[in-house]
Amino acid sequence: METKNLEVWEEEMDICIRCGYCFEGCPIYKEKRWESDGARGKVILAHGLLRGDLKPTDYLVQKIFECSFCRDCIERCSANVSIPDILSAARADIVSNGYKNEEHINLLKKIDETGNIFGEKLEAPYKEGEIPVLLGCRLLERKEDSKRYIKMLENLGIKPQIYDETCCGMPYAVLGYKDDFAKQQEKFRERAPQNKMICLCTTCVFFIKKKYPDLEAIYVIDEVYKRIFDIPHKKLGMTVTYHDPCNVARGMNMVKEPREILKEIGVELVELPTNGKKAECCGGGGGLLVTNNPLAEKLALNRVEQALKVGVDTLVTLCPTCEFNIKNAAEKNNKNLKVLNVLDLIAEAVS
Amino acid sequence: MDIDRLKSIVGEDYVREDIADLYIYGSDASVHHAMPQVVVKPGSIEEIREIARYANSEGIAIVARGAGSGMSGHAVPLKGGIVLDMKRMNHILEIKPEDMYCRVEPGVIDDDLNRALKPFGLTFPPSPASSRIATIGGEIGNNASGIRSVKYGATRDYVLGMKVVLADGELVNLGARTRVEAAGYQIHRLMVGSEGTLGIIVEATLKLIPLPKFRCLGVSTFDKLEDAGNAIADIISSGSEPSMLELMDDIAISAVNTTLNLGLPEVEAIIFFEADGKVKEAVDFEIENMKTICEKHNGTITATSYDAKERTKYFSGRKKLFAALSKYKEGYACTSLADDMAVPYSKMAECARKIHDIAEKNGVIMTAYGHCGSGVMHTKILMNPNDKEKWEGAQRAVEEIYNYVDSVGGVTSGEHGIAISKAPAWKKARPDLMKVMSKIKKALDPNNILNPNKLMDAPDNWYTATQIRYDVKK
Repeated sequence: METKNLEVWEEEMDICIRCGYCFEGCPIYKEKRWESDGARGKVILAHGLLRGDLKPTDYLVQKIFECSFCRDCIERCSANVSIPDILSAARADIVSNGYKNEEHINLLKKIDETGNIFGEKLEAPYKEGEIPVLLGCRLLERKEDSKRYIKMLENLGIKPQIYDETCCGMPYAVLGYKDDFAKQQEKFRERAPQNKMICLCTTCVFFIKKKYPDLEAIYVIDEVYKRIFDIPHKKLGMTVTYHDPCNVARGMNMVKEPREILKEIGVELVELPTNGKKAECCGGGGGLLVTNNPLAEKLALNRVEQALKVGVDTLVTLCPTCEFNIKNAAEKNNKNLKVLNVLDLIAEAVS
Repeated sequence: MDIDRLKSIVGEDYVREDIADLYIYGSDASVHHAMPQVVVKPGSIEEIREIARYANSEGIAIVARGAGSGMSGHAVPLKGGIVLDMKRMNHILEIKPEDMYCRVEPGVIDDDLNRALKPFGLTFPPSPASSRIATIGGEIGNNASGIRSVKYGATRDYVLGMKVVLADGELVNLGARTRVEAAGYQIHRLMVGSEGTLGIIVEATLKLIPLPKFRCLGVSTFDKLEDAGNAIADIISSGSEPSMLELMDDIAISAVNTTLNLGLPEVEAIIFFEADGKVKEAVDFEIENMKTICEKHNGTITATSYDAKERTKYFSGRKKLFAALSKYKEGYACTSLADDMAVPYSKMAECARKIHDIAEKNGVIMTAYGHCGSGVMHTKILMNPNDKEKWEGAQRAVEEIYNYVDSVGGVTSGEHGIAISKAPAWKKARPDLMKVMSKIKKALDPNNILNPNKLMDAPDNWYTATQIRYDVKK
């Protein structure tokens, strides 16, 4: 098997001392309990592919793709090894060598055809303004919510420009379609009205920060945090728990800001047993929703159960994919938990 | 190998034979790699007994594995066979605060046990650095210890008894639940540190102690490494009771500053000293004593604190040292070789200097740090792991360091065990031990199925003993 992507990461794989600290919090390991399901195991598999000791069998490929890229492993790593990058490279090599997964192909085809993960013509609530705002596929699909969030920005003193956006390309990159990602990157850049934008989606903003060094991606929560304390707003007087999205807490080191915003708008927070940088992943990332949907749902159900156990009826989060995954798990399993986006509460507070 | 038979014992879901799994379970935190034929996750003592009976009758190797965090190759199955992943047996069976002991299955993780003990004000104190994932079974097999071993000792000091499945499947109940025992051979003590070669530990009874109420950390810098070494020897010989006494040399300091930008003073050595206890005045007394001794040896005290957050901050340089070493130089990796010898206190500084000289001579980078209060000198060999010449240099360095350690009355391994990596040096240093150990092994495991080819039976060349897990190019 050709391994031109993994070759770039050989040094990083050698730096891994295989201490195993990464499987302490790995959500996939905790669920399946074989070392091949944990981060260390997957790095060893990637190294085996690079050395030519292993071939990309269906079983091995499934292991490499069963990762939600939650970055918990990086937090715990003795040597700060960038494990998701190694797995992304392994996925890219596996795909380059002819691996095909129908679910992955269908998802990417939808983006090819429509510019979003739903494969539907989704019209943005266009608006002239000063700063472009990227809604992201999931919020683009939730038209009424999007409108409220745009209104929220206006109430915070921002003049949003809503434009004909397209997918940031994250699904191509995480599923190993490197060339297609490059093409989607071009489309994304072409559509962007300026070289900076406010992003409402946590996945998009983290991804753009990482993969588009020429663009300035501003996270909406940074903007809210700058303004909320100085403008009149309601106190909502409710009690919720907060699920830290991986890309926010671990990816962007943002733990205190959402909590302080919630406090400011009169929302009492009951913490989940794992929170902040050690928050458990809901399973919504890394393409796990399409690679192994039942596993993603199971991880989300764990969060639902933890939320109910801390005695609240509402869980809020920031990531639209976490929100979707957790809500879906609650509904499918008849759990009485309301799942909202933090933006819903902010929008209500400043309305 | 009758895989179906193994499946019938533990259930199909608990047997893996795909090459992907075998490849992973052929590795641990050492430099070695060798594949098993099958990985089995037993869920009960009875299942383990049945697996042992089958393996013994067929002469198939069994390697019991905890977290696979060993650094000398304990869990690497040199003769293939069955790897028993013990992490499924992870239940705390009993906590008896009134009798100060607990009973656990071997797959219980050290930190999980200590979390469960905390509400009782108790602790199981050996805590190696890997306690977040290390299993009790692995810690017993390796006689693990950690940064506080200077006061609290090693795992062996806390094992009251255990249940062990022998090679032929027989189950024996060893030791007692009492603090003292004078009833025959102390076979449970023999099992501690036996690296899985004499039996499979399936339950352990562990001695517990109260958690200390006060803990204070001090930091002293030294312009001369020798002064730090003398201070360490003086602290210990003064009768002081540190709960931790750690050394970092200039390479370690530079690594932390370069990669993590921690701004530690660029001196030849830093000592971290700590005392703990139930009475604050007693802790104060110990700290004052250690401060005075450091100052007597030209040390500069830069901090002392009881505050947990401050202690974490001051100690972060040492805590993050491993990460720093891993990224010390582009193209270099941090390999677990010659990494945990112990030497007499009076030889600490000399040993550190010797390590630097040997490393330089052989074209690799080595640092010296460790739990000097226990005489443990940790090192790592930093080198380009893809370069065959570097490995040749590393082999020479390892041999020269162990020759030196032996010459000053030290021991090949203070913490990480012998297994494969350290076997050649240890066998050379202690030929008198080999015969008696082989007799014990033969008596308990006549068919040589339990973690074979380790310790005294390990190959004489660690480099060629297995495939090296790095891609060594010419």
